[in-house]
Order: sequence, then C-alpha cells, then structure tokens
Amino acid sequence: MPWAKEKDFIDLKERFSGLEIKELENSTSLHIEKGKLIELLSILKEEKGYKLFLDHSVVDLKEVLEKEKDWRSLTSSGLVAFPEDRSSRFQAFYILYNVEERKKVIVKTRTDGTLPSIEKLWFAGKWAEREAYDMFGIRYEGHDNLVRAFLWETYPYFPLRKDFPLEGIPEMDLPSLNEVFLGDPLEGTMNYERKHTLVPTLEDLEITEKKRLKKKAQIVLNWGPLHPGTHGTMWFLFDLEGERIVQCDVILGQLHRGVEKLAENEMYNQFLVYTDRMDYISALCSNQAWVVAVERMLGIEDLVPEKAKYIRTMMSELQRINSHLLWLGTYALDLGAITIFLYAFKEREKIMDIIEGITGARLTISYPRVGGVRMDLPEGALEVIKAFIRRFPKELSDWERILTRNRIWLRRNKEVGVLTPEEAYYFGATGPVIRGSGIPYDVRKFEPYDAYGEVEFDVPVGEIGDCYDRYLVRIEEMRQSVRIIEQCVKKLEKLPKDAPFFAEVPKERKVKLTLDGIGLKVPVGEIYSSGENPRGELGFYILSTGGTKPYRVKIRPPSFYNLSAYPHLMRNRVVADAVAILASIDPVVGETDR
Amino acid sequence: MESVWIDLLVVFLKIIVILAVALGVGAYLTWVERKVAAHIQRRPGPMVVGWHGLLQPIADGLKLITKEDLFPRYGNRFLYNLALVLALVPATLVFAVVPFGPEFEVFGYKVKPILTDVNVGILLVFGLGSLAVYAIALAGWASNSKYPLIGSMRKAGVIISYEVAITFAVMGPLILAGTLSTYEIVQSQIEQKLWYVWVQPIAFVVYMFSLLAETGRIPFDIQEAEAELVTGFTVEYGGMKFGIFPLVEWYIEVLTLSAIGVVLFLGGWSPINIPFVGFVDPLFFLGPLSPYVWFLLKVTALFLFILWLHWTLPRYRIDQITEIAWKVMLPLALFNIVITSIIAPLIW
Repeated sequence: MPWAKEKDFIDLKERFSGLEIKELENSTSLHIEKGKLIELLSILKEEKGYKLFLDHSVVDLKEVLEKEKDWRSLTSSGLVAFPEDRSSRFQAFYILYNVEERKKVIVKTRTDGTLPSIEKLWFAGKWAEREAYDMFGIRYEGHDNLVRAFLWETYPYFPLRKDFPLEGIPEMDLPSLNEVFLGDPLEGTMNYERKHTLVPTLEDLEITEKKRLKKKAQIVLNWGPLHPGTHGTMWFLFDLEGERIVQCDVILGQLHRGVEKLAENEMYNQFLVYTDRMDYISALCSNQAWVVAVERMLGIEDLVPEKAKYIRTMMSELQRINSHLLWLGTYALDLGAITIFLYAFKEREKIMDIIEGITGARLTISYPRVGGVRMDLPEGALEVIKAFIRRFPKELSDWERILTRNRIWLRRNKEVGVLTPEEAYYFGATGPVIRGSGIPYDVRKFEPYDAYGEVEFDVPVGEIGDCYDRYLVRIEEMRQSVRIIEQCVKKLEKLPKDAPFFAEVPKERKVKLTLDGIGLKVPVGEIYSSGENPRGELGFYILSTGGTKPYRVKIRPPSFYNLSAYPHLMRNRVVADAVAILASIDPVVGETDR
Repeated sequence: MESVWIDLLVVFLKIIVILAVALGVGAYLTWVERKVAAHIQRRPGPMVVGWHGLLQPIADGLKLITKEDLFPRYGNRFLYNLALVLALVPATLVFAVVPFGPEFEVFGYKVKPILTDVNVGILLVFGLGSLAVYAIALAGWASNSKYPLIGSMRKAGVIISYEVAITFAVMGPLILAGTLSTYEIVQSQIEQKLWYVWVQPIAFVVYMFSLLAETGRIPFDIQEAEAELVTGFTVEYGGMKFGIFPLVEWYIEVLTLSAIGVVLFLGGWSPINIPFVGFVDPLFFLGPLSPYVWFLLKVTALFLFILWLHWTLPRYRIDQITEIAWKVMLPLALFNIVITSIIAPLIW
C-alpha cells in the first residue's frame, strides 16, 4: 500500500522526543507538538524525500471534545494526536508524498488557534494556510500575507467551525427590488424573509483587493472576475509596468459554496452529487475518486465487481478526453486559433452524447456509486464507444498538424511559464502540470484504483516544464486514454451480459450497502485517498466518527494548488502570456473555490 | 466651361459608385467572412435571415444602429467620436487612388475608372494608412479605461513598425515602374509584360505580412485579442460605433490594401501573365468587361487568402510582432531595394 511504514521514521524518534508514529489501516501518521512541527516537516522534505506537498488543513474537534463517546472511539483508534490534551480545539494535518519511493504520510499536530507557517517549505502551503485561516480562523505565525482565501476580508465568521450553523447566520437586510423601487411591501403575497446571510458590498471587495496587492508599478489591471480569458470567475490583479507584469495575485471565492461544510452534513452517497459540481468538466473522475475513497474506508474495495471497475475506468477516461478537449479548445482560442476550438467541441459533443446515452446526464453525472455503478451499460454502448475511439486519434493528429509544429504556436508556448521540477514540488503541482515538468507523478500508476492496475498505458512527461510541454503532455494523455478505453472495451465485451455491476457484501461484514446508499455507516477512521483527475490529483481526506455522515471532509483540489504557481509564473511576463500560462495550468473555478 | 461641368459630374458619379461599392461590399464582406469561417470550421454559418443568410448583414446593421448609445463615464466625448471619423474617413479615402480598369470612352468622353489619378497615389495610400494610428490611439485614450488603452498602445506599436516595412517593400515595384501613380504602375506592368510579383517576391511577402499587421488580422490581431483584452480598444464602444471599427479595419482596409497589392504586384486589371512573353486571357469572351472581372478576381483571391490565414493560425505576441517587423521584414525590404536598384537599371 502507498503509506509509509513505522520503520521509516524510527530514527526520527531519537531526534524528536514527543514524536508518535501511528500506523493505521488506511493511513500512517506522525504526531508532533506544534513547536517542533516546522523542524520535522523540513527534515521530512530535505532528508526523507517527502518533497511533494499534497494538502494541509485543520479538523475542528469541538463536537468530539463535547461527546465523550466519540472522543473515546477516536482516541482509542489513534486518530487524535496527543489524546491527553483536551483543551486544544483543532487538529492540523499535513499530507506529504515521497515521489521516488511512492509513499505518503500524514503529520498531525494539535492547536488552539495558532500554527507556525510552512510558507518557506512549500508555497502551496501558503495557500492552504490562507484557506484554513478563512475557514477556521487559525492564525499562522510568519505567514507573509495572511488574507482570506475565499471570503471577503471583512467577513466576521469562520464557516467551517463546528459552531457555525449550516444555513448561515441571517443578519443582513436584503429587501427585494420590488420593495425598493416600487414600494411594494410584498405582504400577504409570499412568505418573504428579508434577513439574509452576509453579502459583500463594493467597499468590502475594495478592501479585499487592497489587502492583496500593494501597488508598485504603473497601473493595477483587474483581470476578471468576469473575463473570457480567466475560464470562469477568477479575479486576477496584475500590477503592470507597460505591459510587463511586475506582480500578480489571485482573488478566489466567487464560486465558493462551502462544499466541505455540506459534506459534513450529508450522507456518503448524498455527497456524491456535490463532487459533480466541484470540477464540473470532469464530473465522472471526481465521482470515481469519491466512491473509491469511501470504498477504501469501508474496506470493500476488493468486493467491487470487475465489471463495475472496468466501466468506471472506461467512463473516467472518456471524461478525461472530454475535459482535455475543452482545455485544448479554449487554449487554442486564447492564443487566437479559433477554429481548433470548434473542432475540439465537435468531438467533445460526441463524448457528451455517449455519456448521456450511458448515464442519462451530460454534465453532472453521478454515475458511480459506493460499491459499483448505478446501472449496467445499455445495449450498443460499447459499439458507439468503439466507433468513437476508432475515429478520434485521426482527428487528434489533424489538429496537431495545425498546432504542434506551427511556428507561431511554438513561439507563443516555448519557454513560456517554465516550472522546474523543484518548483513543481514547491507549488504542490500535480497532474499534467507536474508531468510537464518531468516528474512522472500519476496517481493512476502510483496508487492504482479500479481497473488502472490492470490496463496498460504510458505516462507522458515533459522536458523543461513550459507551456509547450504541458500542451504535449495533455495531447499524449488523450492518446493514452484512448488506449485504456480500447482495453476496457475489450474486457467488457468478454464479460457475460448478466455479470454483476454492484457489490454484494457478505453478511458478516455488517456493511449496509445499497444502490441509494441510505443508512450506509462508515466505521471510525480516517483516510486520504485520491484519484487522478484531468487537472491533477483530487484527494479526499475523510475523518469519520462512525456514523452515516463524515465528521470532516477535506478536499484536495488539484487546480487550487496548480494555480498557486500562477503568480510566480506570471512575474515579468506580458499580459499576452497570462492567457497562455493560465490555460496551460487549466484551472476550473468550481474546484478551486468549492 | 462645359467640360468642367462634365468633369465635375463624372467625378461626382465616380464618388457615388465607389462609396456605394466600398461600403456595400464592406458590409457584405462580413457575410462572406462568416460563411468562409463557418465552412473552415465545419458548420453552416448564418442560415436563418434570407437565403443562406444573405440578409444577415442588413439585420446586423439594423441591430447595431438601434442599440443604445453608451458612453463611458469620465471619457472624452469629443475625442471618442473623433476617433470614429478618423478611422472611417482615411480608410475610405484610399479608394480614391485605386484603379479598377483601363480607360474607356463614353459618348466621346474619356473616363479613367479611378477617382483621381494623382501622380503620388502610392504616397497618398500610405499617408492615409498612417492616419489610422491616430484613430486607434484616440479611441483607446478617450475611452478612459485600461483595456482600450493597452489595446491601442499595442496597435500603435504595430502600425509604426509595419509602416516602415511596408513603405520600403513597395519601393521595389515603384523602382521598376518609375512612377507613383497607381494607374501608371499598372500600365507599365502591362507594357513590360510582367507582373512585378515575379521579380519582387520578397517585396510581396513583406507587403502581405504588413497588410495583415496593419489591418489587425490574425496572426497579428493583438489589439483585439478577445481572450486577453476582450476586443481591445473597442471595449467602450457600443452599437454602430462599435460596428464601425471592425468594418473599417477588417474589411475596408483589407479591401483597399488588397487592391493596392494587386495594383503593385499582380498587374491590376491585366489577365494571367507569362513573364516577358505576354498575357493569356481565358475570360476573353467577356469583352470589355474582362479587365474589371480580373481585377475583382485578384482582390477576392487576396481577401480569401487573408481570411484563410485568419481562421487557421494562432496569434503572435506584441514583442514578437515588432521583432519580426524590425529584425526580419525591414532588412528584407532594404535588401530588396538594394538588389532592385542595382539590377533594374541594367535591364530596363
């Protein structure tokens, strides 16, 4: 399994007196005091090779501390660091990855509101800390510019704390426009609640903007939130000297919906539909990552029938091609090649039709279920997919003939936005971005889930990590996806028609697994499980206190961390490169903001 | 006295015909462009308004005219409107020196199908062409907004770079023709039995590059750059005011510069040329109309070529565009002038 073993860290025990190593079923964690945290993390990074920063956040233990039963079950299974400390409210966790040895580890510490900043070790950590500050109000000492990640600067609450109500606090007068302009009191016509949760005003947004960036050069250009080049609602601030960008920052949160808060209040299968709405371009891959995480937590990964595994793999790869086609189209559009956009969308439409025919939905799909898939493949689905993958590689080479060796394309992409391997680790990049930098980190290969362990495919890597390499990596990934789909189709054709597509759990396991997932209880435990989305590693950290709902879900959004490299890549670049670099990172706002 | 009136009448008629043709064709070129783009992109294009969308330009025009006239707060209204005039007038004025065909006689009166055959025609073309930079700079400045400003600065940079290249590029044909009059240039090509493109290929390539750059067509459409600048200097314009800029830049300017290109390099209204031997006219059956058709065909071919590029290629970056202008195109054009001025006197 991909988790580090206790023996890997035995030598650290001598150097850190309070260090505890817990090797659990689904995770291995190091428990350390707050004071020694930075030292431990830097040793893990420099000496132990845990260079890739995956995720950091905080768990609010308030409810557990109040409930004696939950506290005992959590501490007895070793999920809480320093169980003797009953006053510290938060538990922070850092998930690190060793790419050479393919091992993961969680570092945990307890705090009551302050933590040292890991900004010097991983820049991605800076963004993760902003998020934790935004959601939990954790103060980071030594953080360069601790501002809110998603919400506006003057927002007074910390929504992911357990004492913040799910529906928010309605306190702002927000009369309807009919009331304001027409004097219509709306009495008797409807039950209209005038109190609303807080909404940012223009002044609030201005304060937010001012906090982000101190103007150094000539003009500050607001690039977004509504701008066609930003691929969604992202708000970039460019400090321009002529057309050269001196400094740059990103204000996220226009699409923030509090998915993690929702996850704590939904059952495991109910949360599936929210994963659709995170990365809405690759819904099937997100679904798959979530159900695999829950299956691993239940320990029923082996019980999922082969047919379901192959179907899920095949559908995810279709979705990957779909997502990369959207990327290719918009990338070419941003660089002026309008025609490629329409070519790509034409092929994308075919995939959408195939997916619609199989699952009944085009965008928010929710086809996989914990334990299998929702329904069997319909008649003729495999023939349609076969027809598509027969034709698609030819189309792809046609487009490549227009772009790949095009002088203009080369000049716009070569040596633009270079991310070296060290920087890729530093910014927590995953997916095509880290592979473009030459590191073959692919979750499908490193920690195979579903049928990825049984199919053959190559992981393309770039050479220098510029936009052109990322372009080539994604193009080649589409070819590899076609290869995977071919193998899946072959396998599925061999399987009998009436083979099961949903897991049956033996009685003695005591897991109530149904298609609708109602009453599905997950045992006490934690897991960090990830899937390879088209944008990078989508990870779910789930902490369960043994109920129908998770206690805490932290989502590792790939494009959030990939995007953290953007201000660095944009330094001393011109505005025209902004679109090229942004499109080559390929963020999806539904996922960065959640 | 009588002949003066006739002269005036003829000039007036010519103005009406040319303006009607230029603006009408300019509007309909939007339809052509949309159809060509659509077929390049494997889709039908406008199909709803009229047969195969033939009435689409009229519908678009109506829509643009009836739209609300928006004006940015804190903008300069005088300069804002002046920019429109400065964009439209010089671009249309270039048609004054475009010769459409050979001289002909009506009721014993000789008519040249060119508005004014001034003896500095080419100079006039590039003089007027340079005025376009004022329109764009003013449009960007008067809008009082950041995106238009960046767009107009980019465009000004490009036009200044390529004005130099294009002026040096046309020197070659001018040396061969020995005149600046557009009508005479075509005449001398016909007399020498030679399209200048055969002996001036470098100048032609530089000219085509500059044409694309001056008119802001892909791969040089950085002043628009939808993805980064959301149509650049026209951001703050609305309705027909917005419509005029692309009409001028993408259609009228492309049309005039293609026509001048045909005049300079492709022998104007002459039929297919076999260098130094003579002309072959497969359209002889059209009789006296054949020169006009040839002229039209050549301009259309150039225009379609530009459309083809526009809908295929990605776009350059501003520094790369000016780099190409100063480091590649200008030296090429200068080299061409030197070679031409050494060899031409030896032959002619």
